[in-house]
Amino acid sequence: MIELTIDNKKVAVEPNTTLLEAANEINVNIPTLCFADDLTVYGGCRLCVVEVEGENRLRPACNTRARQGMVVKTHSPRVREVRETLFELIIASHDISCELNCLTCSRKSSCQLKDVAEDIDVSRMRLEPGDEEEEYDRSSHSIVREPNKCITCARCIRKCEEIQGVGVFAKASRGPETRVTTFKDKGMGNVECTNCGQCVVSCPTGALHEVYHMEKVWDALYDEDKHVIVQTAPSVRVAIAEAFGEEPGTIATGQMVAALRRLGFDRVFDTNFTADLTIMEEGTEVVDRVVNNDRLPVLTSCSPGWIKFIEHFYPEHLENLSSAKSPQQMFGAVAKNYYAEKIGISPDDLVVVSIMPCTAKKFEARRPEMSDDVDYVLTTREAARMLKSVGVNACDLEPEDYDEMLGVSSGAGDIFGASGGVMEAAIRTAYNLITGEELEEIEITPVRGLQGLKTASIPVTEDLTLRVGIAHGLNNAKKMMEKIKAGEEFHFVEFMACPGGCISGGGQPINTELTWQEVRERRIASLYEIDENKEMRRSHLNPKIKKLYEEYLEEPGSAKAHKLLHTDYTVRGVPGA
Amino acid sequence: MLQQDNDILLEMAHDIQDTYGYIPEREITQLAEKFSEPRAKIYGALEFYSMLYTEPTGKYIVRICDSISCFLHDSDEVLEAVQDYLELESGETSDDKLFTLEVVECLGHCGEGPVMMVNDRMYTELTSGRAIEILSECQ
Amino acid sequence: MVQERKFLKGPRLRNPADYDFPGLQRALKMEPEEVIQEISESKLLGRGGAGFPTGTKWDMAFKEEGEFKYIICNADEGEPGTFKDRYLLDERTLKVLEGMLIGAYVIDADYGYIYIRGEYFKSIKILQEALEEAREAGILGENILGSDFSFDIKLVRGAGCYVCGDETSLLNSLEGMRGQSRTKPPYPISKGLCGCPTLVNNVESLACVAEILHQGASEFATMGTEDSKGTKLVCLSGDVNYPGVYEVEFGSSTLQEIITDLGGGPRKSHDIKFVIPGGLSTRILTRDKLDYKYSYEGLEEAGSSLGSGGVMVVGSEQDLTAILTRIARFYMDESCGTCFPCREGNQQIYKIISRVGKGKFTVNQLEIIEDLGNAMAEAARCGLGQSAQYPTGTILAEFKEELVEGAVY
Repeated sequence: MIELTIDNKKVAVEPNTTLLEAANEINVNIPTLCFADDLTVYGGCRLCVVEVEGENRLRPACNTRARQGMVVKTHSPRVREVRETLFELIIASHDISCELNCLTCSRKSSCQLKDVAEDIDVSRMRLEPGDEEEEYDRSSHSIVREPNKCITCARCIRKCEEIQGVGVFAKASRGPETRVTTFKDKGMGNVECTNCGQCVVSCPTGALHEVYHMEKVWDALYDEDKHVIVQTAPSVRVAIAEAFGEEPGTIATGQMVAALRRLGFDRVFDTNFTADLTIMEEGTEVVDRVVNNDRLPVLTSCSPGWIKFIEHFYPEHLENLSSAKSPQQMFGAVAKNYYAEKIGISPDDLVVVSIMPCTAKKFEARRPEMSDDVDYVLTTREAARMLKSVGVNACDLEPEDYDEMLGVSSGAGDIFGASGGVMEAAIRTAYNLITGEELEEIEITPVRGLQGLKTASIPVTEDLTLRVGIAHGLNNAKKMMEKIKAGEEFHFVEFMACPGGCISGGGQPINTELTWQEVRERRIASLYEIDENKEMRRSHLNPKIKKLYEEYLEEPGSAKAHKLLHTDYTVRGVPGA
Repeated sequence: MLQQDNDILLEMAHDIQDTYGYIPEREITQLAEKFSEPRAKIYGALEFYSMLYTEPTGKYIVRICDSISCFLHDSDEVLEAVQDYLELESGETSDDKLFTLEVVECLGHCGEGPVMMVNDRMYTELTSGRAIEILSECQ
Repeated sequence: MVQERKFLKGPRLRNPADYDFPGLQRALKMEPEEVIQEISESKLLGRGGAGFPTGTKWDMAFKEEGEFKYIICNADEGEPGTFKDRYLLDERTLKVLEGMLIGAYVIDADYGYIYIRGEYFKSIKILQEALEEAREAGILGENILGSDFSFDIKLVRGAGCYVCGDETSLLNSLEGMRGQSRTKPPYPISKGLCGCPTLVNNVESLACVAEILHQGASEFATMGTEDSKGTKLVCLSGDVNYPGVYEVEFGSSTLQEIITDLGGGPRKSHDIKFVIPGGLSTRILTRDKLDYKYSYEGLEEAGSSLGSGGVMVVGSEQDLTAILTRIARFYMDESCGTCFPCREGNQQIYKIISRVGKGKFTVNQLEIIEDLGNAMAEAARCGLGQSAQYPTGTILAEFKEELVEGAVY
């Protein structure tokens, strides 16, 4: 152990501990901006500088290791003076003007600049802000970039490169021209961006946000000629409460349903329902392909960020993807066909809205092969904003149930939101499809958890042990693909673009208090809790799914099911490579 | 390891630029592939260096030093004369793609200022008249 | 009357056929430790600007274990007012190569790079030819000069970036990244290029090494003062009559004498207003502070530092705000853009100064510049940001009366 003194307090830490971590152990809060607990240290913002006895300059706490006998002052007058000047500089580089001020910012309630202002108790603002007009990047279906709000902390760059293995962003030029940009300034919509939105949730300011569909949804809700229905993804129910001040992981399913009715949706349905349907279609496909040794391994297809990733970086493996659409798009297809027919309205008068933890779902809905089945996609954050603006709190209403027809789901659907959840749900049903019996040990723990790459062997019959793999976060997806390319054998592999799965999607509420790890763990725990508390935990036992097949789709994998519920993919590659 | 001759990005970029006059998009992508890095990152790295160009420049790149020592010898007058003559501001390229003008920092000829470079040629102890004479010979 | 002392300077030396590399010949017959001993005894300090003892640096590099070791000649001379490395590269080419070869032999380097400013087109050509000819003459490659020692050098062209002269930025640049500094530790000596032990030396330091091995450490150490041994190439520019590169024995003269005797005094009718004594990134010295001996300690006593040896003389009739504007623009444009204090601070200082134009600074503006300068000095990531305030801050402080509105003294 290394002993040092921080703010007159003795503290003992492990070797290699940074001063930032050491201070944290004695509950001293040092302000940071470019630091993020899941990314490499950058040492750019310098807000965390501290005084170290014997050194002639201040040292960045994020990047200075504790040494034996070190004497550190984290908030001395010298430090506070420099910090305040640094903050003045940051604000001057971050465009705050009358037309575009904090009140309309996407991050008005989760702005880290505001947090820092409070932390260092800013008292002066003497510098003139930059006056250059910078064009927004609106090239993407999913994400907007407002460069004037960018403070060039490189968190988006690091997130995209280190966690997602994509590297859409880079810092270009230098000096005052230093900027975050995409390849040749083409814009996010014109490069190999997967739309995962991890950059959005790692941005400390409002420089990145989703492409808003709120206005369109308001218009639809106000249009009396339209029948507007909404579906909510599994992960939304364990996160939306955060936007109303509750702790991460607060389960607000029924309250959210009630709130969405208040907002004016004609029906509130559950994406979990089509998650069950996905299991039926994808499970059938997996069983079929495993039995026939056809294009193995089967790769899951429900994460649109992952889909775009594989289309860009591993197009030679597109044939391995399951042809099943994602639950969002299955819902759209079922709604625009089966549901419209059932209630006797023209699909043209039906508006399908989804609430997703995801920014990539916005892109997915606009894919040409999806024929606009889903009209608009709101992120969890957008949904919360809409609810707030009509005075509804998604946490304190009397809980209500989803509307029945497309709203009943098994626990298998709920766990779709956690890494390993699709796999677990699929195994529960595939076991039945193969053996005709029910899997006894329903909780398949080897596929759960936040470990980046997971593998498991699931005995099914005497001759068949399913070999499965799970990867979440696209950098892990890349590793998994390299394993597969190197010949490691799997039957079925689950991929989620976001680290931890959909619960930490790019459309989720942004928590600036807890560590990323804690937030994810809590949301995941809640999904498993929901599953555990459900009577029905197997997709194939969902009565409404059975009914849908009986009344409309015939059987899993039927021609009709194929037409509506399956899709194909696009070879994208990386242009020029 | 770097011990082979051809794996220094900067040198490769210089070579590409010596061939095309700038570094075309497809070449950047190929560099990215060679170094197994995202193409945005390579682009960002190239853009860092003011002597590397990812867009075509004029046939003649005119660099005028306006750093302290040259300024003490009236580089500002030379610069103004050249700007007027070329009708260009720093960083601009003429419509006929003949000239790109750049005001640059110290070129390491502080004892012989004011100085101007036209492509790889250095001209020292300039006057406004001499500078324009040199440029008028560039066709 | 100050005379030049010719230790490093001499006739043009480019073609290996005309030169027998006496320093290298001698080194190859010695054990590496003996060579390090000799360098240490010479008390040579690094000539790039930081002034770290070369012998110590070599000793550390020698002791560092690694599968692969590099030696790099830092020829990215970019400090405004400095052009002595260019002189050595162009005129004493083989002395620089010789110094590098001695270093490579001593630390057992596997490969070497010369990182040269991209703007030095002429020097690049000279070096390319010299390297080619050296290979043909058996000075580079396998079994150099018939010994067991094998080594080769690649010339790498920089591309217009001042901050790459910082050794960690230079390493990043060589690795194909943006030339932004690395946080230290680890130092390049232990983890440099691609994580391997790397010795980075300035051009002038390497030329000194070649001469020390040739003429002997004792010869070198007879010159200069106790703390500053040998000679220094001084680059005189600005308002002097005879600008150029002069070799000066440390302690033999004052800055004033160098300017008067070697530089022929102030240009035209100018008096000296101030001198920037060690390249742009050093504190200015006003006319009354030029009588200190030219040595590391002398200039420190005067309140500045020797830096790179670039002495810029500013005459009394020059426009201070125009000079300040150019200084501010330099640091603004050359900031690598990574750390906020340097990127934003230099930009703000430039904005304020250029807005003042031909007018005067307000007390408020002065205070802001001081605060920004202080924040950069305290919190910037590398030397560029940390020292950017030296010239600006000292000009503003020394000429307050002239520059600030309503200043009372």
